[in-house]
Amino acid sequence: MSKNKKYVMVYAIDRCVDCKACMVACKAQWEVPEDYFRTHIDEKYSPDKLAANRKYFLPSQCNHCDEAPCVSVCPTKASHKREDGIVYVDRDICIGCKYCIVSCPYDARFFNEEVGVAEKCTFCLPWIQEGHQPACVTTCLSNTRIFGDINDPNSEVSKVLAEAKKNKSKIWKLREDLGTEPNIYYVQS
Amino acid sequence: MVFQESFEWYIALYLFLGGVGAGAILSAAFADLYNREKYVNYIKSASLIGMPAVAIGSFFLLLDLGQGLTKPWLLIYLFANPTSAITWGTAILSLFIIVSLMYAAYNFKIIKFGGGKLTLVSLIILAIGTAGYTGVLLGVLKAIPFWHQTLIPALFIISAMSTGISATVVVKEILFRKEKEDIAPFETGHFYLMVLEFIMVFAMIIIALNGVPEMVYSIKVLLAGKYAVQFWLIFMILGLLLPTFLYGLQEVKKLHMKGNFLIIVELLVLIGGYYLRYLILHAGVYTEKFSHYIG
Repeated sequence: MSKNKKYVMVYAIDRCVDCKACMVACKAQWEVPEDYFRTHIDEKYSPDKLAANRKYFLPSQCNHCDEAPCVSVCPTKASHKREDGIVYVDRDICIGCKYCIVSCPYDARFFNEEVGVAEKCTFCLPWIQEGHQPACVTTCLSNTRIFGDINDPNSEVSKVLAEAKKNKSKIWKLREDLGTEPNIYYVQS
Repeated sequence: MVFQESFEWYIALYLFLGGVGAGAILSAAFADLYNREKYVNYIKSASLIGMPAVAIGSFFLLLDLGQGLTKPWLLIYLFANPTSAITWGTAILSLFIIVSLMYAAYNFKIIKFGGGKLTLVSLIILAIGTAGYTGVLLGVLKAIPFWHQTLIPALFIISAMSTGISATVVVKEILFRKEKEDIAPFETGHFYLMVLEFIMVFAMIIIALNGVPEMVYSIKVLLAGKYAVQFWLIFMILGLLLPTFLYGLQEVKKLHMKGNFLIIVELLVLIGGYYLRYLILHAGVYTEKFSHYIG
C-alpha cells in the first residue's frame, strides 16, 4: 500500500542565526521580483520579559495548509492543493485578482507585477521532483530547515518530529486556532 | 502589525460604484412598485446611473486584475470556484448589469416589454445582492480581523442605498430640473439611512476598540493614526454628519435644499461613501502569526 506523499517542513528554531541565506537562495532560485521574498525571518521576543528575556529568530513562508483559505477564495481554482500536499498557483489560470493575498492569515503571498499573478513558496516544485531539496533547505547553514514527506516514517522530518516528541520539546504550528491546518512545524527544545 | 497592501483605491472605487449603482436601482425599483407615474423622472435618473455605475466599477476591477486584460479568456474562470466570494459576486454583478440594462431600455422606451413586477422584484434582489456582495467580499476573510465582521456587509448595504439615492438626485437635478417632481419620501428615507449609517459606524468603532489586538490597531489608525484626517474631516464631518444635519433641518422644515446646493450636498454624501470603503480597505491589518511572541 502506497500512501500519498505529504510534504511538510520543520523549523528547529533554536538553530536559526538570522543569516537570511534562505531568503536569498529562494530569491535567486526562482527569480522572485525585486522587493519581495517568498520566505522571511522575523525577530521576536519571549513574552515573559522579566524572567527569561530572549530574542527568537522565527522563519516563515507559505504553510501549505490542508484547509487553505487561499484555495477556497480563489475564483479561478488557480490556487489548488496538490495530492502531495503542496498548495500551488497555476500561473496559466491565475487572473491576478489578489483575493488570495488578503485571505492568507500568514501574509505569505505577494503580487508579482511583472507576470500579473499571485506568488508564494512552492516548496521548490518542480525542482524537488528531480530529487533535490528546496533551495532554502540546501542553503541553510545551521540546518534549521528540514524538509520531507511526513507520511514516510523513515524521512528526516518524521524522525526529527518523533525525536522532538520523545524529548518533550515544544512543537507547534502557526495560528492553529484559525482552522487552517498548516504544515510547517516549529520545534523549540 | 502588517497592513494589507493588495487592495488599493481601484478596489475601493469598485466597491463604491457597485454600491452606488445597486442603491440607485434599488430605490428606483421600490418607487416603481409604489407609484411609477409619480416618480417617473426619478426612475429614469436612477436607470441612467445604475447599470453604468456597476459596469464602470467592474471595469476598475478588470484594470486591477493582473492578467484579466491581457488574457481576457481567463475571465470565464471567474465562475470556476463555488466557494469563492468573487465567483458569487461575478454571477450577481453580471445578472444585475443585464437586468438593469433591460430596465433602463424599458424606462427610456427603447424596448416595449419591461417584464413588470417580476423584473422589479428580481432587480431588488440583485441590487441587495450586489451591495451586500461588496461587503461580503471583505467580511469572509478571517485573515484580516477588522474586515471579518457581520457589520461590514450591512454597513455597505446602508451606505449603498444612501449613495445610490444621492447619485440619482444629482442626475435628476441635472437632467430633469425643470420638471417639478416631488421626491420627499426619498429625502426622508435618505435622512434615516444616514442616521442608521452613523449608528452603524459608531457601533463599528465600539466593537473594533474592544476587539482582538489587530482590530484595535486598525480602528486606532482611523481614529487617531495616519488616516485620522481623512476619517474625521472627509468621511465623518463632510461626508456623513453635515449632510445628515442638513437633511435633518429639511425634515423639520427649516431648510429646503434644491438646485446646485442640493447637488453639492449629494456630492458630499458620495465622497463620504467612497472614503468609507477606501478607509476600511486601508485600515486592514493581517492577523498576527507569531501570537506567542512580541515584536
